[in-house]
Amino acid sequence: MKIKQIMKILEAEAIGAQHDNRDIKTGCGSDLMSDVLVFTRPGSVLLTGLTSRQVIYTASTAGVEAICFVRGKTPPKETVELAKEKKIALMTTNFPMFESCGRLYNKGLIGCSEPAGVSEK
Amino acid sequence: MKGKTWLFGTSESVGKTKGKTQRLPRSQKTKEVQKTHQLSYELKIKEAMSKKVLTLKPNRTMMDVRKVLKDHRFTGIPIVESGRLVGIVSIEDLINCLRAGSMETRVKDIMTTKVVTLFSDEPLIHAINKFGSYGFGRFPVLDRDSKKLIGIITKQDIIRCLLSTLQSLYHARESKKGNRYQAARLFADLPSDWTTMILKYHVKGGDFGKAGEKSDQLKGNLLKLGYSDEQIRRLIISALEAEMNLVIFTSGGDMIAQIEPGKITVKVIDNGPGIPDIELAMQPGYSTAPDFVRELGFGAGMGLPNIKNCTDEMKLESRLGKGTNLEFSVYA
Amino acid sequence: MKLKELVKSLNLKVLVGMDLLDRDVTGGYASDMLSDVLANSDKGYVWVTMQIHPNVPAVASTKDLSGIIIVNGRKPEAQTLTKAEEKKVPILLSQRSTYQVVGRLYELGIR
Repeated sequence: MKIKQIMKILEAEAIGAQHDNRDIKTGCGSDLMSDVLVFTRPGSVLLTGLTSRQVIYTASTAGVEAICFVRGKTPPKETVELAKEKKIALMTTNFPMFESCGRLYNKGLIGCSEPAGVSEK
Repeated sequence: MKGKTWLFGTSESVGKTKGKTQRLPRSQKTKEVQKTHQLSYELKIKEAMSKKVLTLKPNRTMMDVRKVLKDHRFTGIPIVESGRLVGIVSIEDLINCLRAGSMETRVKDIMTTKVVTLFSDEPLIHAINKFGSYGFGRFPVLDRDSKKLIGIITKQDIIRCLLSTLQSLYHARESKKGNRYQAARLFADLPSDWTTMILKYHVKGGDFGKAGEKSDQLKGNLLKLGYSDEQIRRLIISALEAEMNLVIFTSGGDMIAQIEPGKITVKVIDNGPGIPDIELAMQPGYSTAPDFVRELGFGAGMGLPNIKNCTDEMKLESRLGKGTNLEFSVYA
Repeated sequence: MKLKELVKSLNLKVLVGMDLLDRDVTGGYASDMLSDVLANSDKGYVWVTMQIHPNVPAVASTKDLSGIIIVNGRKPEAQTLTKAEEKKVPILLSQRSTYQVVGRLYELGIR
């Protein structure tokens, strides 16, 4: 799914640089960084309410390509700048986490299910 | 409480398979074969052919043919008139004439006029296919517009051309890497009984603004050293978790990355407060993080379990009141 | 929609509240931050979270939520289960991620 499609589904507004044509393969919703690190796969979009710089470091390490802030949250300047440096697309939606995940799932974006570094149990 | 050392072996983590000696994975081999195959479509015959062609005029005799074939060990020779290819004489034709004793025969009387040729602007793959279909050792190459004979191509020419192209591509890619050193080359160039590189980072306790920076720096450095994203991903995940632990729970500590051929180890050392119950700390979900930390997205209690799952080796030692020593490594 | 239907459709494991599954689910909320749940969830909502500490059932009880779905197969602490039993808060377990669980709930019509 392209980023611009995601933005349409979530009625989201872009923050900073545009990366409309990137292809996103999976979706992940979380407010806990350890969760993001382990359960997110490269090429995914992260839905979160957290706006700190750590979110960007975590996302970058996990290989996340885009972050959508839910509940209308907008990140501070430092976060936006770091995201630009790491080439992570940012956007914000007014929908809460539940609605956002629901909508994307409904439109066919699958979730990341396999944790990194752990064999399937 | 007495300090305890906990050793987590490779048998519990999937890292075991990743710890095997690096043999070229099948996908890499396929990539190389595919690249060569791709090149045979991209390269043109004119890039591989020999432009110096030995030819004979149609009024020459088989005696001249014998001399040329013998001197140059060819198996055939194109016959050319005014630059135009009019036929070809093969070693078989020569043998027949020798046996019949008719060495005075003019070339034009014995030559094959229907010659299998290639155009210089055709892709190499056409030559490869033709070599496969016919038993010939070489094909004359014509210019598509003038139909003049401008070269000749053998199987050797094809192989030579592919090899030299692959080589120049390799060199181009290497020089593009610019200031990217190759860790492997570094170790190979400095022979010793043990060569290692150490990168040390200090993490300030409680500095949530900067948390994550040091593991990010480590990642950048490892990439500069030529490691791939995939190779170091699990290590950086663990370094990030360790860095966060230092920020959340301690007054500060050091992350020391030790890089050696085949393995990268990170030692995380702090001076307090120490972990009261390591077994509990290793339980997924257990956390002693203060509530405000949860609001920042941390404190899920997954830090240490994540490190254990992501690394090939892990060692954890801690003494209440003294500090904690965490050590983990990945094979790379 | 009743909680027991969710259990069936999503193949959830019931850790606490076998006898409480007849409750009505009025909506859903996904969050791992307690302050957020306290502020934004509503009575009868089913709460999807990764958190497993004892404050979780306490918050759920305060907000009169219909139940909690814990994701990623995370095992709640013993104290959490005890508290949940005490406060009569059903705790259901899913092996899937927040994203996947919410997606399925959304498909079932929960908003």
